[in-house]
Amino acid sequence: MQRSGWLSLVLGLLILVAWELAATGLKLSTLVLPPPSLVMAALRQGFASGYLGPHVLQTLLEVVLGFGLGSLLGFLGGVALGEWPGARRVLMPYLVVSQVVPKLALAPLLIVWLGFGATPTVVITALICFFPLLENTLTAMQHVDPQRLELFRMLRASRWQTIWRLKVPDGKPAILAGLRVAVVLAWVGAVVGEFIGASRGLGALIIAAQGSMDTPLMFAVLVVITVLGWASYQAMVVLERSLLK
Amino acid sequence: MLQLRQVRYTYPGWPPVVDGVDWAMAPGEIDCLVGRSGCGKTTLLKLAAGLMHPEAGMVLLAQQPVMAPHPDMGFVFQSSNLLAWLSVLDNVLLPITLHRAAQPEDIAHAHDLLARMGLSALAQQRPPQLSGGQQSRVAIARALVTRPPLLLMDEPFAALDAITREELQNDLLAVCQAQGSSVLFVTHDMAEAVYLADRVTVMSRGKLQGEVQVDLPRPRPTDLRYTPRFNALCAELRAMMDEVR
Repeated sequence: MQRSGWLSLVLGLLILVAWELAATGLKLSTLVLPPPSLVMAALRQGFASGYLGPHVLQTLLEVVLGFGLGSLLGFLGGVALGEWPGARRVLMPYLVVSQVVPKLALAPLLIVWLGFGATPTVVITALICFFPLLENTLTAMQHVDPQRLELFRMLRASRWQTIWRLKVPDGKPAILAGLRVAVVLAWVGAVVGEFIGASRGLGALIIAAQGSMDTPLMFAVLVVITVLGWASYQAMVVLERSLLK
Repeated sequence: MLQLRQVRYTYPGWPPVVDGVDWAMAPGEIDCLVGRSGCGKTTLLKLAAGLMHPEAGMVLLAQQPVMAPHPDMGFVFQSSNLLAWLSVLDNVLLPITLHRAAQPEDIAHAHDLLARMGLSALAQQRPPQLSGGQQSRVAIARALVTRPPLLLMDEPFAALDAITREELQNDLLAVCQAQGSSVLFVTHDMAEAVYLADRVTVMSRGKLQGEVQVDLPRPRPTDLRYTPRFNALCAELRAMMDEVR
């Protein structure tokens, strides 16, 4: 690990120690701020009892489905709008409006339309992931070097070949950056979706823990979400490195 | 081979950039087109390539009108225009793989071209790992891989240092002679034009203003550049360019 990595780790440990000392030394109620040791105990117990596992799997499934669906549609939409300026001028205002509407406000409507369970959460997650991919892919499609486009014209490449053999590979850095943003937002989408209309999943668990005033469990769930969000981001970084080699 | 008949082209709001140009090239001939920046020589080359369409007149290749880029033409751009995500070999094979799978003889021909350019050891490297001169050589190999009877070149060596440029001129002459390709070469370097060409034509304000027949023997050794005849031809060309200023 590089020096900056070690410094970052030490900083994190210092914050945890300070938090532990403050919570115990100031005798703060565990309802307000449980010390990290108590959070870790809640986390350990949650996994050991098998209570947390199904919730983690549920949220993970929604993130994977929502991220996959939203990213795929965003990518395809970006390619299509990049290729057909007329469609872009007609559709873009509506796409922007669809993103301006807060997803949390959409959740009750989606429950009415789609019922309780994973489906509305997957849809919310997909809606959130859609836009970064759409924007980044669209930008990539529009910023291909004109001389390269001329080369492909000279080589009598079809539109299809120009998209898949020039524009998409050339735009990979921007498209993968969109994926990195989307994977982080996917966790926000899934958890927020579960706040509203789910009985399973980490978001539902936070609401349940709030109802029973189990603050250590709330923190434990936040730790799980943070670790999984971080891991998925790192997975995207690894994917990006391997695809940009 | 290539014929231009009364070709004219105008960018909106400007006087004609190519104005009634007549041109005919014989098979195996190397023609250079010289002129100051903005005189219309790149536009003329793109009209000949079918990348642009004349507003009047016509372009013929082997007596057939050129309405779009033709498989019998290769084009080398001002920048090497290589695809960074492909290996050197795959870049060279691109004009083939866009239309069909590369056959063993295509791959052998690509390797042969790379060998002639002194790039055999770099076939599996990516373009960013190559020097500017090496990238230009790969671009020439790519243009020649389909064995086009006509090669169109738009100041391909302009960004290179003098020694690399001379080496590339020798490589180009050797490869074109081996393949029997005709070349229409646009440059603003008069010594380069005289060294490469059988005929040098001067362009100014969209018109062909005169030509110099280069009667130097072939093959042309590097020290030919220091002979009185070579210098006399350069002086004649220079005088012609000053005259049409």
